[in-house]
Amino acid sequence: MTDNNSRPGFFRRIWNWFWTPTAVLSTGFVLIIGFLAGIMFWGGFHWSMEMTNTEEFCTGCHTMETNLGEYRETVHYNNHSGVRAICSDCHVPKEWNHKVKAKVMAVKDVYHELMGTIDTAAKYEDHRLKMASQTWKKMKQSDSRECRNCHNFEYMDFTIQETRAAKEHQRAIDNNMTCIDCHQGIAHRLPEGYLDEYKRVVDELAMEEAPKPLETASANTDTVRSYLKQSTQKTSGD
Amino acid sequence: MLNLLGTIAGNVLSLPGILGLALGMTTRNLLLASIMGAVVGFAESLIFAGFDMSNVEMLELVISIGVGLLAGALGCAIRIKGTTV
Repeated sequence: MTDNNSRPGFFRRIWNWFWTPTAVLSTGFVLIIGFLAGIMFWGGFHWSMEMTNTEEFCTGCHTMETNLGEYRETVHYNNHSGVRAICSDCHVPKEWNHKVKAKVMAVKDVYHELMGTIDTAAKYEDHRLKMASQTWKKMKQSDSRECRNCHNFEYMDFTIQETRAAKEHQRAIDNNMTCIDCHQGIAHRLPEGYLDEYKRVVDELAMEEAPKPLETASANTDTVRSYLKQSTQKTSGD
Repeated sequence: MLNLLGTIAGNVLSLPGILGLALGMTTRNLLLASIMGAVVGFAESLIFAGFDMSNVEMLELVISIGVGLLAGALGCAIRIKGTTV
């Protein structure tokens, strides 16, 4: 026999309190409190996420020292115009959906930092091609979306570019190419065999995007024979 | 796997998750709430693809509709449990 008068547990009481309609708060009060709490939560969430976009945060891990050193020798770090592109400008999308996805996927960086996957120069070099390849694939897939936060063919004045650059950019437009097709290694040292690897990435993506064969094209030959036989019999019957 | 989790998280914190939940909370009809959430998921995919279905990735579309559907259903459950009207 159970005791129906026993006091519910702590969590059950919290649960009941949470779902019991309030008798002392007006709708307006609840709405205003909810609105303010929403602003505070969303502001705090967004601020925290932006904190993870700073260069200090990105390079806080030991394993990021190598790529930080390489990046500091490039035009994206120091240049005549005084504009700097930090890690997140190239590696974190601006659009909310893509940004959240990138942040979740960055969990793997924490894992590899803890596991020491690239914690020595030798290990880093062993993984350099693979890491570069993953980034190239993302950039090729997104039409170099992060590059285009600052650069755009439409904003370029070819008349004030070097002849070679203007010619290559025109070629890129004509052939529907994207930034990463030519600018691999713009911020980090290129691994050995990068050209072959980039070609492999491009071929792999082309295969993924190619139209799937029609069902009929992949049909079993016995099925085709059987269908033709039936059609022939039907025609001769007529 | 991370790609999948990232896409789900992106949708939970975006229109399908938030607007889907809010719309779900406007009704006690579970089916209607789920449909409204799913429509938001579909609309979001279309908006991000620049209203061009050829730019919509099937995996992202399925996930955003799924997240919207679940968010709508959760919103409806909250409405049923948390209100007397």
